[in-house]
This record gives sequence, structure tokens and C-alpha cells, in this order.
Amino acid sequence: MSGYRFDRLKILVVDDNQHMRKLVVAILQAFGVVHVHEAADAEHAWAMLRDVNPDVIFLDWQMSGMSGLDFIKLVRKDNNSPNPLVSIIMLTGHTHIDHVRTARDAGANEFLAKPVSVKAVLARLISVIEHPRPFVRTRTYFGPCRRRRPIDEYRGPERRGGESVEIDDTASEKV
Amino acid sequence: MADNRPEIFMPPNLLKAKVGGTVTGLDTAAIKRAESAMATLKEEFSDWLTNDIEHLTATHKAFNNSKNLQNVGYLFRAAHDLKGQATTFEYPLIARAAASLCKLMDALKSHEAIPLPLVDAHVDAIQVIHREKIKDISNRTALTLVEELEGRVTKVLANSVCKNSNV
Repeated sequence: MSGYRFDRLKILVVDDNQHMRKLVVAILQAFGVVHVHEAADAEHAWAMLRDVNPDVIFLDWQMSGMSGLDFIKLVRKDNNSPNPLVSIIMLTGHTHIDHVRTARDAGANEFLAKPVSVKAVLARLISVIEHPRPFVRTRTYFGPCRRRRPIDEYRGPERRGGESVEIDDTASEKV
Repeated sequence: MADNRPEIFMPPNLLKAKVGGTVTGLDTAAIKRAESAMATLKEEFSDWLTNDIEHLTATHKAFNNSKNLQNVGYLFRAAHDLKGQATTFEYPLIARAAASLCKLMDALKSHEAIPLPLVDAHVDAIQVIHREKIKDISNRTALTLVEELEGRVTKVLANSVCKNSNV
């Protein structure tokens, strides 16, 4: 047993397909998540953010109205965003590597391809808990570092102190 | 001169602080509970798929009436839902036919270029597989039908690339 207290989490599931919402909600509840909220589109999700203050958002990409990608950009960059750091797991039928990159470049923490499986949902949830990525702010991007490997995996000698660092790595993070 | 270097910082891990625990691989008990919940939902999958296909049929009808950008979007999203969900609902060949339709619609930049007969053929195939309750991914007739659709999409997209490169 992992001993995770999933009952302490608040999760928001955003998908315009009610069946997919019901499926994801059922899986999360079986994991022990008690506080699961649902939104049928990104506009409602945006309106709910301040009241619900979710810890994790499961977000569909293809929705009528505001897309999942635009929602992520709003959450990450808008001055009125209640929590630009919230973990976002992008849920989508897109499976091409270019789509994974696009979701990552918008600021998604994780990518979950449909059809969803129980193991994949749990794996992504554990990933955002156990392997959070540092955040990056550039002129054009704010969100999780788009390099897969978190900096806390660095095993070499410490050359900088403190929690906030600046790196000059324009190859991976375009300014 | 402005400092344009990226700023990188590690936010406090509030999620870990909330849920505690340790990572020891996937929690098999939690997975069993969730799979059991999925099994319970399976009784509803048939109705859910029927609803999704009715939605596809409605968006297809609207698309045939008026091939405008909004209707193209509705049809694409209906097909995209089936691409993502039909396998979960135990109809993998519907997911494959829907994926082929999405590929066709996604790749053609102009919605005017989307060939109506090929769209119709995809929607018909999805309806037939559903009506005949073909859940077996290796069903010869349905598989041949889906492979034929995929082949035609490949040809249409190849021709589209040729036309664009000749412009």
C-alpha cells in the first residue's frame, strides 16, 4: 500500500463529454478521492477555480468553446488566475508526439491518452505528487519545465544555493 | 539591457504534503477497486456508446446540410470522442474508424477540401459496426471495412500533399 490520503485531495474533471467525466470520476472515487468536482466546459471550469481551488485538474483537450489548451494558458498566465501552479493532467484522444509537445508547451504537467485505463490514471496522479517539475518563467511561457527530467534528480555537486535558480539554457527554454 | 534569461523555481510540493504516503509502485488494492468500479459501469457502456453515436449522426447531418467551420468542428469533436472512448466501451473498431475520420478532417487544412463521400462512408461504417454489435477487433468483415477507409484516407491526404506542392 502506498498510504496516500487521496481523500484530502480536491480534483476538478473538465470534459464536455459526460460519459468520459463519469468514467474518470468513478476511477478517482475508487482510489479514495472524495472531493471530485466536474465542469462540462472550460468556461465553467474557469468560473469554478476560485471556489473549488482544486489540487489537480483532469482536462480534456477538445471541447466546444474554449479548448483545453487555451484553458491551460489562462490558468498559467492570466493575472486573475487563482492558482497558476495547479497540476494539470491533459486528457485527450490525440496520441501523436506533436500533440504531446503542444500540450507540454501550453503548460500541462502530464499527458493522459485516451482510452483511459485505471493504471494510467493512477500513474499520472502519482507522477504529479512524487515527481513535480520545477516551473519556468520566460517572456513567452509560464509553466512546468518542459524538460522531462526534474532538477531534483541532479546527482552532481551542488554549485548553487537556495531554492530559486536562474539558468541560461535557451536551447530547451526559448526566451 | 533587459535580463531575458528564463527563471526557474521549484514550488513547494503541497500535493505531497497533503496526501503523504510513499511511492512503492502502483497501489494494487486501489487498482482493483477502480477496475471493479469500471466493471460496474460496463453495464452503462452500451447506452453511452449509443448516445455518442447518435451525437455523431446528428453532427454529420448538420455537416451535410452546411459544411461551415462550426459544423466541421462539431463533427470532428464527435468523432474525436469516439476515437478516445469506443475502445473503453468495448468497440475498438469503432475507435479505429473514428480515428481515421479524425485524421482526414485534421489533416486537410481547408474544410472545403474534405470529401463528403468519404466522411459519409466513415459514419456509415461506425453505425454498421455498432448496429451489428461487432466488438471483436479481428472480425474479418469489419476489419476489412476499416482498413479500406484508412487506405482511402491515406490516398486522399497523399493527393492533397501533391496538389499543395504543385501550387
